[in-house]
Amino acid sequence: MYLEPYVRRTMTSAEAAAHYFTKAARIMDVGERIETLLATPVREVKVQVSIELDNGEIRTFEGYRVQHDNSRGPMKGGLRYHPSVNNDEILGLASLMTWKTAIVNLPFGGAKGGIRVDPTTLSVKELERLTRKFVDQIHDLIGPTRDIPGPDMSTNPQVMAWVMDQYSRYHGHSPAVVTGKPLELYGSRGRETATARGLLYICREILRDVQLPMKGTRFAIQGFGNVGSHTARLFHEDGGLIVAVCDVHGGVHNPRGLDVPGLFEHVKKTGSVKGFGGGNSVTCDEVLAADCDVLVPAAIGGSIDRRTAATVRARIVLEGANGPSTPEADEELEKRDILVVPDILANAGGVTVSYFEWVQNLQHVSWEEERVNNELQRVMKEAYEKVSQISRSRRLPLRTSAYVLAIGRVGKATVLRGI
Amino acid sequence: MAIAASLLKKLVQIPIFQGLTVPEAAELFEVSSEASVSRGDELFAEGDEGDSLLVILEGEVLITKRGIELARLGQHSVLGEMSLVASGDARSATATAQSDVRFLKVPTKRVQKLLKANSLAALKVFANLAQVLSRRLALINDKFVDSKGKKREELADFGKILNRWAF
Repeated sequence: MYLEPYVRRTMTSAEAAAHYFTKAARIMDVGERIETLLATPVREVKVQVSIELDNGEIRTFEGYRVQHDNSRGPMKGGLRYHPSVNNDEILGLASLMTWKTAIVNLPFGGAKGGIRVDPTTLSVKELERLTRKFVDQIHDLIGPTRDIPGPDMSTNPQVMAWVMDQYSRYHGHSPAVVTGKPLELYGSRGRETATARGLLYICREILRDVQLPMKGTRFAIQGFGNVGSHTARLFHEDGGLIVAVCDVHGGVHNPRGLDVPGLFEHVKKTGSVKGFGGGNSVTCDEVLAADCDVLVPAAIGGSIDRRTAATVRARIVLEGANGPSTPEADEELEKRDILVVPDILANAGGVTVSYFEWVQNLQHVSWEEERVNNELQRVMKEAYEKVSQISRSRRLPLRTSAYVLAIGRVGKATVLRGI
Repeated sequence: MAIAASLLKKLVQIPIFQGLTVPEAAELFEVSSEASVSRGDELFAEGDEGDSLLVILEGEVLITKRGIELARLGQHSVLGEMSLVASGDARSATATAQSDVRFLKVPTKRVQKLLKANSLAALKVFANLAQVLSRRLALINDKFVDSKGKKREELADFGKILNRWAF
């Protein structure tokens, strides 16, 4: 009795994804063996990544790459450097990529990888050696038509550039082996703001459905990293009122709307939204409970749990982060008639522009940002329409509908190709 | 129990008793007894000790294993014949009367005793039994292969489920 709520609250986003997948598969009644077929990864690899530190010491790390499904195309998924990395987590995240690429209908399967390491303890040179050594160990398994890594937690365009360079030493010049590269080295315009922009396009569709104009709609944003900050800027530029934001240090709230350009100046100077003069100082929990129309959790996974879900006052929760709502919170929000736009749909803008980057690399062209954004809007709009159509016709929440669509697309490809 | 010659003539047409002369059949069925059960009653249940071979004289019997139907047997069908080669082993399936059933019961021990005495009747029955069982094994092999073939249908069934969802 004591343990269970604790265990549940620490359910990882990977476990939550498995939970939602199973729920959708049971609703579709696909049967146990098809469920197992879809859930089982194609390949799981664990490799030794040993490097010499700057001081001459030897360090050995564990590197992982899990390739979950390739029925719809080469596998795609990020590479994360984090002390929590382990096979189960990577496997769960790899399957999440399979469903996500299917929902936005990219010709990709799903994968994920990473190294179990605290990157803050390493120098840039050590990080480079670590990355190159990891590529040495997995270069046979990845490739533009096999498996295309991208950035994830603690990996950035520079790391992607090293991946491209090291892979190219083995296989010849291959920019399409990895996405999220620097703009100067075959990266795509619009990649940095892609996730936030995807959120914006989905949000426009949702607001149209619930008949709210963007102008004057009140947003609360939890998290002010890549996704949160660009979301604040883009939604503000689109006429939205950003009433509350927070990051790890603290938050700020103004019911009449924050001065977003001023907020960016403040963040540039201090490194945090905390202490911004244009509103009242608040905690992150208070941002989650802010009086607003749309709440955008864009920080870590699990920030909306059973307890905080009960305090949410927004009409709509737009999941910018991966797994921001625990399954219990999800149930609670549904019970309270709060519309949850699931991560797997809402934040798919990132991987969509990664796909555009791959396409540009394969064709040796570079698109203008306008083209990237237009294509992104088309992809996100189509995905939302499909998911909402399933939701309406089957009377299912958007999240379950998104998983149903994903299982349907991956399943069709599997059936057509044969086993 | 003495069996009427008219019945014996019918019994020797049953595969497992084929080739027996009427006197040989009379020898075999000498100690058999006739019994009857009402509809819904069990003639024997899976796990019971197999001590006899039964011949249905009238009515219909359903054979099931763990609730799954294996066969429906009618007049002049034989059941429990596996107990001849595996005397005392547990019955491998359950026999339930689907109607009021009248049947002949031949104790396994009797047939085995005749076999030990080099009775031609018993030898013929065992030769027939080997044939019956090997045919049945061939049938099971076919079914096994068919059930393997169903795996391909499983993928097709999944396709049908997906079509119903109309993506």
